[in-house]
Amino acid sequence: MNHVDAALKALAEPRRREILRLVWSTELPATDIASHFSEVTRSAISQHLGVLREARLVTERRDGTRRLYRADHGEMDRLRDFLARYWTDGLLRLRDMAEAAERGRPHPARTTIDETTDGAPQPEAPQPEKEH
Amino acid sequence: MDDLTCEIMIDARPETIFPFLTDPAKHLQWMGSEAELDPRPGGTYRVLVGGEHPGVGEFVEVVPNERVVFTFGWDLPDHPIPAGSTTVTINLIPEGDKTRVQLVHSDLRADAHGDHNTGWNHFLGRLAVAATGGDPGPDRGPAAE
Repeated sequence: MNHVDAALKALAEPRRREILRLVWSTELPATDIASHFSEVTRSAISQHLGVLREARLVTERRDGTRRLYRADHGEMDRLRDFLARYWTDGLLRLRDMAEAAERGRPHPARTTIDETTDGAPQPEAPQPEKEH
Repeated sequence: MDDLTCEIMIDARPETIFPFLTDPAKHLQWMGSEAELDPRPGGTYRVLVGGEHPGVGEFVEVVPNERVVFTFGWDLPDHPIPAGSTTVTINLIPEGDKTRVQLVHSDLRADAHGDHNTGWNHFLGRLAVAATGGDPGPDRGPAAE
């Protein structure tokens, strides 16, 4: 949860998105990354890299005095799964509500199973509410 | 470009499900805390999710009991998916006395600068979905500091 929030925040800054693109498929030293941004100071780029690293969107590796960065696709995959689940959750709620409407009941209890109806055939109340 | 597709079978007729996509009061029963929906081509789509995430776009196509298409994105400063920048298609496909609900989120792009990296596009597409589906944790918008 928290790192999804951190990732959303990290991605809200255009330069951080640009940095992530730069290191998407190539590992680059901080100096090379900074050289892509003529109008931004080196220390500002360092800070952006720090935010991306804390959000686990990039990994950092030391090579002598250099720091090398690369997009963390593993974290991306976890985020993808997480976000896809959110969409699916929406559809599950839609299903609950639509099925309740189909049966003519306005609001089902979402988290509890009604034992008196679970598995038992419900009389299908005809709903002659055709609009045309 | 990678589309995101989600499907679910619902034990209800398309005409029962359809109003949940177009009627604001019914939409709020499954998603959002505020909804402004004008379901006709060019009409407003605006659903506030998680208190601070306004998903905003325009209806593109509305076929009663069959299909709803709307553009979609976030009305937040510097959001990677700006309002109206992606497309969501929801198809209601009758199967017997049930309905297959198929949702396709497409036109997923990184931002106005354009980008050819499929992985990145794909990720941002899923990101789009986060705010649609709910609030990931504390109620802070993506651009909130």
